Amino acid sequence: MQPDTTADALPRGNRLGHLIAQNIGLILAGAILLIAIVGFIVIYGIEQQRLPGNFELTSTVNSAVPLVFAAVGQCFVVLTKGIDLSVGGVVDLANAMAAVTMGKSLASALGWSVVILLVGAACGLVNGLLVALGRLQPIVVTLGTLSIYQGLAIRVLPEPGGMIPPAFTNFLVNPNAPYALIFIVVLALAWSAFRRSRAGVDLYAIGNDEAAARALGVNILRTKIIAYMLDGTLAAAAGLFLAASATAGDATTGNSYTLSSIVAVVLGGVSLFGGRGSAIGAIAGALITTLIVNILFFGHVNPLFQSFYEGVFLLIAVVVGGVIGGTIRRRPK
Amino acid sequence: MNGFRSMAAESRRVVYAIAAAVALFLLGQAVHPGFLGLASVESILVIASFVGLVAAGQCFVILIGGIDLSVPWVLNAGAIVLTTTSLGLESRAPIAIVAALVMGVVIGAINGAGVAIFGIPAVVMTLAMNGIIEGLVLGFTGGFTCSACSSYAPPFVQALAHDSLFGIPDALLLWLVVIVLVTLALNITRFGRATYALGNNPRAAVLAGIDARGMTIMLYAASGFFAALAGILLVGFGGQASLGMGDPYLFTSIAAVVIGGVNILGGRGHYLGVAAGAISLTVLVSVLLALNMPDYVRSIAYGVVILGLLLAYGRERET
Repeated sequence: MQPDTTADALPRGNRLGHLIAQNIGLILAGAILLIAIVGFIVIYGIEQQRLPGNFELTSTVNSAVPLVFAAVGQCFVVLTKGIDLSVGGVVDLANAMAAVTMGKSLASALGWSVVILLVGAACGLVNGLLVALGRLQPIVVTLGTLSIYQGLAIRVLPEPGGMIPPAFTNFLVNPNAPYALIFIVVLALAWSAFRRSRAGVDLYAIGNDEAAARALGVNILRTKIIAYMLDGTLAAAAGLFLAASATAGDATTGNSYTLSSIVAVVLGGVSLFGGRGSAIGAIAGALITTLIVNILFFGHVNPLFQSFYEGVFLLIAVVVGGVIGGTIRRRPK
Repeated sequence: MNGFRSMAAESRRVVYAIAAAVALFLLGQAVHPGFLGLASVESILVIASFVGLVAAGQCFVILIGGIDLSVPWVLNAGAIVLTTTSLGLESRAPIAIVAALVMGVVIGAINGAGVAIFGIPAVVMTLAMNGIIEGLVLGFTGGFTCSACSSYAPPFVQALAHDSLFGIPDALLLWLVVIVLVTLALNITRFGRATYALGNNPRAAVLAGIDARGMTIMLYAASGFFAALAGILLVGFGGQASLGMGDPYLFTSIAAVVIGGVNILGGRGHYLGVAAGAISLTVLVSVLLALNMPDYVRSIAYGVVILGLLLAYGRERET
């Protein structure tokens, strides 16, 4: 993933080992995702006496999309060694605005979607300016803006309600087929392009060593603001998907996305210490999180215990991942 | 003025935090005469004491560069352990209080062990722990539907939250004791110096002979203790435990620590500032309530004030 010249200096046999060591977080995330998919199919098969089909795939994908977008947004900021607690507030605001503005036609819904994404970008811009220009810690800046964005969302939509045109719902989260996978693929492709761009390289440089990046001429201010604006835009997109799924708005349902996006990013092998990981991992992490909920549901686990199992799973994944990753990185060359 | 300028930056921040609290009280008096009345100030300070206690634990872990996101459900668990163990009986109050506090300490110690021994990032460890405790509490109480769940707090605990001694509410006295103890512990003991040393430079602290693992576990245990203690007081204040009663205390406790002038990256700050921060946040909410502001204004004002204070402190930053 990372442009890496040390690999060229290694003897041929070690290159693969080096590649694995460099991308261990992503590989582990892929492995957990695979286990989660197999686990879901097995539990579903035992419970329903058949394999999950189109309906299960569609509903899983549709319920995962909002978190996928929020997690990728979070990933941009975490890569700069930051963290965004305001994700939930932006999701709320986008969700509330969608329910109030969209009206009945697809055309107006799409037009307002653009406006809402711009509002998300503006929310990200505020975060980015306070962090990069105000030189405040990301965790406290976004704690403050979370409160502001949540307040604005409640101002826009005081009571759950409003409406989302059915055509818009069909467009974003079609209930009949997993078309929403297209959005996830597009997001992954866009990430690959970004990763190779100047801003993408700078992002990793800042996350790894901000002082060194500055010394090498990386524009810290610009890069951080880009990261926070992409984060805000994607969080707003998550709000649009959420509104489309619910076919109505609620200014508080987005709150949980702050913490779940962090969980998804961590499960996806993105380091909270910055500079390590990728949005592909974040997407995998979001899918894992959604699948776990499904596995618990079909495994007839008492829903009251759900967050207990999620917490235990998160800890096991992080500890086991850390041990495996540490062993591979420390392996003598 | 010269004396003020020669103070260490973090001591100046304590002064700013206290000034902010005083200014907000005066603002309250200006917009709502009677705001500074004894009863009104007392009730604001009692409510601030709940935030202040949770923030004491949060302050400990933030001083070593950590964070405790498990506060909401440790607090909630403390409350439910108290009511279900005591069943509202005065005779069972002591055992119930001890049970709730021990539970908080044990959960906190597990958090600390996860961070210090397994190297799990504090955000992940305490976030997962919050979910684990939430699941356990909800599961075992059937979502707060169990018959013991509706028990009231024993009269002793209710009195602790409502009664006064020498004209000062008990809860406030308790908080004053905590303020004095925490301030002394951080400033004149070995424990305090080790805490700041760990927050400033963990490597150097370990080389200087500080038991980093033991300290980390102890500080997270303290955070669990204070969250459970706040849970006990809150259930005494409200009478019964309720679902989600700890939720508002997560971000509020972090905000109090931060506007109290403690560096979120650790190593710098005083609990006195945090206490002033807890009071500021509570007064702010009270002022907005007195003005009959709707919820959303409160939420926005909260964020604006946090950011405004941070930007004001930002000028003091020593890079």
